[in-house]
Amino acid sequence: MQPLANVTPLKPALRAGAIEVRNVGKVFKTSTQDVVALEDISLEVKPGHFVVLVGPSGCGKSTLLMMLAALLQQTSGTITINGQPIPEPDPDRVGVVFQEASLFPWLTAEENVEFPLALRGVAKSERRAKAQDALQLVGLDGFGRRHPHELSGGMKQRVSIARGLVQDPPVLLMDEPFAALDEQTRMTMGDELLRIWAATGKTVVFVTHSLTEAVYLADEVIVMSARPGRIVDRLQVPLPRPRTYDMLSGDAFGSLRDRIWRHIRKSA
Amino acid sequence: MTATTLRRLIVMGLIVLWEALPRSGLIPELFLPALSSTLVAGWNEAGEYGHALAVTLYEVAVSMMFACGGGILLGAIVGSLPRPRMLIMPMVSSLYAVPLVILYPVFTVWLGIGSESKIAFASLYGFLPTMLATAAGIQTIDPQLLLAARSMGATLSQRLVRVIIPAAIPTVLSGLRVGGALVIVGVVVSEMLISSAGIGYLISRYRTILDSPHVFAGVLLVLAMAITFNAGIRWIERKVAIWHTGTRGGESAAVEIAPGALQPAT
Repeated sequence: MQPLANVTPLKPALRAGAIEVRNVGKVFKTSTQDVVALEDISLEVKPGHFVVLVGPSGCGKSTLLMMLAALLQQTSGTITINGQPIPEPDPDRVGVVFQEASLFPWLTAEENVEFPLALRGVAKSERRAKAQDALQLVGLDGFGRRHPHELSGGMKQRVSIARGLVQDPPVLLMDEPFAALDEQTRMTMGDELLRIWAATGKTVVFVTHSLTEAVYLADEVIVMSARPGRIVDRLQVPLPRPRTYDMLSGDAFGSLRDRIWRHIRKSA
Repeated sequence: MTATTLRRLIVMGLIVLWEALPRSGLIPELFLPALSSTLVAGWNEAGEYGHALAVTLYEVAVSMMFACGGGILLGAIVGSLPRPRMLIMPMVSSLYAVPLVILYPVFTVWLGIGSESKIAFASLYGFLPTMLATAAGIQTIDPQLLLAARSMGATLSQRLVRVIIPAAIPTVLSGLRVGGALVIVGVVVSEMLISSAGIGYLISRYRTILDSPHVFAGVLLVLAMAITFNAGIRWIERKVAIWHTGTRGGESAAVEIAPGALQPAT
């Protein structure tokens, strides 16, 4: 893994995106009934902030994320990024990292990272250079030629993050990216993500089931309840940056996690 | 000793036994002629065998085109569209249990006893597994991959070319392997049943006059054909699907198809 010093600093002010969600609802129509997945969701994310969505299963947090990525359309309300609506997926503005690494197994790591550029017909040399930068940023210098099955779970997610960042979008959306990893890798990847976030100044919206992960990573935790999905609480995390492992056992950390847990227990 | 050397030793042992057992008189030459007399018999009639091989190879090649082309095309349609799938799949599955060879006499009535009836039968015979494997290959593509491609702004045609086709290749190839093997079976079997040319016809004709060395020379040719075909497919698989580690949908689909597909061969 590469040390921090190699990272090219980007200009945070230009790279960050403001997200605004206004009165958004989502109804899934099935043949027998309509299921209200999300009801009247409003939230703002300031440029460069790290926001984590938590909530019980079925609270629609992934649905909300898919709508931010324009992979789903909301039934009502508006979603804008830097004031502009997103009618269809746009990797120039929004990068997405999925739960499973979702890398294409027939492509090498660098070809995977180049994929969104190749879709746009970017020239090979420029593509390769950008992929190299992105792989270096996530600490995978020298692993570009490997296929996904030759990489560990944590390395695959690094490639996935590199792919999400390769077009330098202001917003990075992450749908339980570390859920399939073991706990040690998960902790390391959390620190890695915070390092990449600090280096790039992206606006991050991160969905997780883990309360510890939520408090550890976030500037702000948004707690949702299930059926229908609604926002029940928003917590600012006042812990200083950079976050360190010993904060996990502190009182401030514990009381934030307890507060989230009480909400989730109530609605589950 | 590695598995490979062990396998080679077993094959060599079988070849030695093929020569030694008939020579020693343990097995009558009528049941199993020695390898050397088989080869000599084949060599003496090289012209006849060569002509038969040409006929058989022509029938196999044309059937292969119909079976694999049609199988991949229809499999892709059935695999990606739910409505045709609901219409066609139950029919195909029940057809699968029918010993298709019963159709061959019908084909000879329609198309005569020349190459056409063999091609029709072998094409149909190899078509089913190819189509089923292709449909399975497309259906079992991880939806997460398609979602990821969509999140990166891939259009429908980009998703088809850059995601669906490469993801389906290993399964399609394993279908081709089974389908292609069945095409060879189909051609040879139909030649043996009602025919006037080809290796199957030669085997069948020499059998009726109890000329075992010539029968076995034909058998050797069919064996060589099947082995060459299989090696060819394996070579393509290695070239195309380096990433395919043998644990994904492709292999399991081939295993599922193979036993059922090979059953109605006789």
